[in-house]
Amino acid sequence: MIEFLDVHASYDGTTPILKGIDLTIEDGEFVAFVGTNGAGKSTAMRLVNGLLKPDRGAVLIDGVPTTQLKTSELARRVGFLFQNPDRQICSSTVRDELLFGFQAVGRLDDEARRRVDQIIEEFRFDGDADPFLLNRGTRQLLALASIVVLAPPVVVLDEPTTGLDFCECVKVMGIISQLHRAGTTVIMVCHDMEVVADFAERVVVMTDGRVVDQGPTFDVLRNRKTLDEADLVPPQMVDVSLLLPVMEPRFAGTSVATANTLAEMQAAIEDVAAGGAAAMAASEKDALDDVPFQGSERKER
Amino acid sequence: MDGFLEYVPGNSFLHRLNPVTKIAFAIMFAIACFCTGNLVFLCLMLALGLALAASCSMMRQTLGLMRAVLAFSLVLAVLLLLTTPKGDLLVELPWGYIGSDSILAAVVTVIRLEAAAIPLFLTFYVTKMTDLSNSFVKVLHVPYRYAFTFASTVHFIPVFMNDMRGIMEAQTARGVEFDQGGMVRKIRLMVPLCVPLLISSVRKTNSSAIAAEVRGFNLRTRESGYKRYPMTGADWAVIALGVVVLAAAIALSLL
Ligand SMILES: Nc1ncnc2c1ncn2[C@@H]1O[C@H](COP(=O)(O)OP(=O)(O)O)[C@@H](O)[C@H]1O
Ligand SMILES: [Mg+2]
Repeated sequence: MIEFLDVHASYDGTTPILKGIDLTIEDGEFVAFVGTNGAGKSTAMRLVNGLLKPDRGAVLIDGVPTTQLKTSELARRVGFLFQNPDRQICSSTVRDELLFGFQAVGRLDDEARRRVDQIIEEFRFDGDADPFLLNRGTRQLLALASIVVLAPPVVVLDEPTTGLDFCECVKVMGIISQLHRAGTTVIMVCHDMEVVADFAERVVVMTDGRVVDQGPTFDVLRNRKTLDEADLVPPQMVDVSLLLPVMEPRFAGTSVATANTLAEMQAAIEDVAAGGAAAMAASEKDALDDVPFQGSERKER
Repeated sequence: MDGFLEYVPGNSFLHRLNPVTKIAFAIMFAIACFCTGNLVFLCLMLALGLALAASCSMMRQTLGLMRAVLAFSLVLAVLLLLTTPKGDLLVELPWGYIGSDSILAAVVTVIRLEAAAIPLFLTFYVTKMTDLSNSFVKVLHVPYRYAFTFASTVHFIPVFMNDMRGIMEAQTARGVEFDQGGMVRKIRLMVPLCVPLLISSVRKTNSSAIAAEVRGFNLRTRESGYKRYPMTGADWAVIALGVVVLAAAIALSLL
């Protein structure tokens, strides 16, 4: 469990960046942090793994303040994927890069080597390739793999999909959701609201160093007022699901406005739409039956 | 967060001087410090340097840099102390002795380096890099190519320091403990950092070279700069002061 208790933080001790954050993240949760650039999301992530210590308040990991944990202990508990993979890649082969994390926390043994081989297999890497010659998406995957291989109970991801193409994004998110299903706590900063809607269980909205809204993903996404204040645009599907019941009474009272995944939402809309289409076809048929002449003429052609 | 040797905006007397004047004065000032070993003169120079720093409210940055210079000059001073046996014998050493003049030489070294460094550093704090290089092109007719090389080298220092910080952060997140152990251990831990730093430097240099090329770097001449850098009366006065200081130092050394 990770707790933020009235956390105030700054880089230089004078300019406050985080201004009083209270949050609890339970084990096994998938939490997304959203907000405009400069809102303090990355700063909050730095606090989770102790790269930055709070000026006031405390960040607790399983009840222990980050100020009391050693760097290597923190690294064992919290894996951190930076926005720029080039900052962490430092070995000359993919295999060495994956082993580096074990070396850093002092666990370089046969078990570690087995894990690395297994991950190379899983990610379909070439173990002897030079990491710096891989393309952007693969470097990001490698950076992710070097965290996955250590199997930390918590992973923190700072904009893991920014700058990736659609395929690479799907790949990265696939791995992250697999981690989550295996019980890892996932904390992710993300600008892509579609990704947030697809994967996160809970959303935390930040503006100017404060948490302005948080809750189950779709509750937050449907709260247009705070999203507008935070300059965020939810996925179109959510907008549609908010508009439909207002415009068309047939949608009111269905699960269109209460669905908790995009797929559920789409299914609900399709359901109502299909019902509507059937009704429309039936009424058109009635209308045609009233004009037999036109109908029979059309048939003859 | 102000960077190392990065321009601090302001409108003080020093800010408004011609960049060439500032550099010329700083260089004359530094040479003057090295011309003489007169302790009183060097202390006066140090005081003048600090007064200049105060005049453009750059005291905090200056003191920070003085600390760094102090660390470096202390090493030199200790070496001098141990290797130049001069004056009255104070401490016997296996290979010589520490004399009263050795101590004087060590003190002079420290003050000389501090005094010489201040105006040089100050110049960077009160001058925009672009102004510095452009004025060299305009006033001193330095080829733009060289001015550009110099400016971009200095410009990249804070960028590299920022990169270095980011890389150290990334390694810390992976469990590398920079905050523990002795010097040797730390240096060993630093080695893996050199790779990403080198890679990112080469990438940056390469892309900025391409960017300069496609924006017509080769077509640029001395006349291309829009801003003019006229030498004013104040500039000549400051240069005159520099000459006086330098002359005084030379005179002292000849006495
Ligand atoms: N290393 C740093 N030193 C000083 N200030 C920083 C540093 N990193 C970020 N900041 C400042 O902290 C604020 C929040 O930044 P950040 O947490 O990166 O925002 P986000 O990730 O939400 O875009 C910004 O105003 C930024 O300028
Ligand atoms: Mg960020």
